[in-house]
Amino acid sequence: MKNCSRRLVSAVVFLSVFCSGVASAAEDQIRVMNPRGIMPAIQQIPMAERPGALDGKTIYIVDTKFANTKPFVNALRDNLAAAYPKTTWIGVDKVGGYMQDDPNLWAEIKAKGHGAIVLLGH
Amino acid sequence: MPTVAMVTSAFDELATSTAYKKGMPGLRVTFTPHPITGRTTEESNEYLKGKDPITGNPMLEEIIAGLRDKLAEKDKHAGTIEREERPRFLPSDTADNLQQMFHDKLWTDGLPIILPTEEKVKAMLKGTSHAPDEVVGEMRPSGPHEAWKFTVEMVAVNAVMAGARPEYLPVLLAIASTGQTSLVSSTSSFARMAVINGPIRDQIQMNSSIGALGPFNQANSAIGRAWTLISKNLGGSGMPGSTYLGSTGNPLNYGNMTFPEAEENLPEGWEPLHVQKGFKKDESVVSIFSGWSFNTIAWFSPLPQQDVIKNWLTHFFSFGTGSATIIVDPIVAVELKNNGFATKQQFADYLIEKSANPGWLYWSTHEEEYKKAKEDVEPFASYLKLGETAEVPVSRYVKRPPRGAPAGTPPRNPIEVLAVGGGTNTYWSGGDFSHVGSVSIDKWR
Repeated sequence: MKNCSRRLVSAVVFLSVFCSGVASAAEDQIRVMNPRGIMPAIQQIPMAERPGALDGKTIYIVDTKFANTKPFVNALRDNLAAAYPKTTWIGVDKVGGYMQDDPNLWAEIKAKGHGAIVLLGH
Repeated sequence: MPTVAMVTSAFDELATSTAYKKGMPGLRVTFTPHPITGRTTEESNEYLKGKDPITGNPMLEEIIAGLRDKLAEKDKHAGTIEREERPRFLPSDTADNLQQMFHDKLWTDGLPIILPTEEKVKAMLKGTSHAPDEVVGEMRPSGPHEAWKFTVEMVAVNAVMAGARPEYLPVLLAIASTGQTSLVSSTSSFARMAVINGPIRDQIQMNSSIGALGPFNQANSAIGRAWTLISKNLGGSGMPGSTYLGSTGNPLNYGNMTFPEAEENLPEGWEPLHVQKGFKKDESVVSIFSGWSFNTIAWFSPLPQQDVIKNWLTHFFSFGTGSATIIVDPIVAVELKNNGFATKQQFADYLIEKSANPGWLYWSTHEEEYKKAKEDVEPFASYLKLGETAEVPVSRYVKRPPRGAPAGTPPRNPIEVLAVGGGTNTYWSGGDFSHVGSVSIDKWR
């Protein structure tokens, strides 16, 4: 009987501690609103098929004209020409700064070229 | 057209994330060591013989493969990639955990925020008559980036986070409606400024007096801070490496120089900024400025103020060399008025006309004129003879339409003058900021 009472007291103490812990944890939980905006869906653009070989092809090297990068751009053209002499490598400058579009150049590349390398950065 | 992009390795995250957002996740990109700026031909050759520092592939072979090799099926796909779902509420958690989660996701400015519970956001929304689901506008980190859309409620969430009061909300909605981020994505570490004019300044108890540009007023501080949070969370800005690239960063981004003009203390004839921009005096307006840096000038000189400012402008050098904003204490404005400048614009025009260029700066920004000087064409030849430490008598502040503006656009005012301060001394500030635009706050009440 004595043991039974002791177990009963322990169970009550345990339950009360457990329940107060649960209540406290539940009280501590808060719900907040999402601070983020709405991202647009992305329209995927199929990439242009590659030719499988570059011999006899013309590739434009388009310099977007970041400051003081010309030696690298010229070195790229020279290294490609030396390593892949059966391909024609044409170096061109895009008009304006690097943020400006150049539809005439893109039209020329589409008409006369088979590919392009567009570079570079700081 | 088969294309390979070449980018320096510091921008790998930017290049790959931009390719994804533009709809070409498989874009062939070859990375070079960084920086490329200033490398010699010999150094460039060494780089090109080496490997792409990101992929580890031989650089030239990688370029050739990108132009030549057949595509994977996934690269040929068209269609729509849906973005992650945007729940209105975040999963419940403890305040401490949520606070840390906001920091970890870079949704804060690194300082503690007020957690945006539904109750607090509801209270914030009482600051406007506009519906919570009304779309306010779109914002992007800079021109080439994607724009994110946002509603009145989303602005209110960020206003709560910044510690704003509901009565500030129309100002924040007006700022957000401009679509102008305060965290422009450029390696040059832009800063932004918001100038508030009209009755709302007093209605929300902004400070245009002592310490107006400092951390001494709840409205000035909270509105400025909220603009940063709006830019990050609603404008897709401020993720270092992908949507923020400022190399050093800019301390002005914390509060975005947000202050009201001291209209009541302007001398007679000097119009407040919003009136200069075509609004009525009793309208409440916010004006956005863009620049990089500001100097605070506390200095006495036997010269009149207009010449101290003119001479400072001549020698002030920063990233922006063609625009300036001068912020004068109202007692300096009175002094300038007494010195003969009946209006702000007269004073601005004096600075535009009379300021000059240090020789070294003039020649580094005037390539054609330098060629002419070398061919003995006047007046350039005479300028060149002055030497690079002398002043070339040509202003760098020119009234012309903004770059890329359609024909017929009126010329931009290259120098703006504002008045703020408590009159404790005849001091002023100046910087390279230019006016971007002004919008009504009243529309968002």
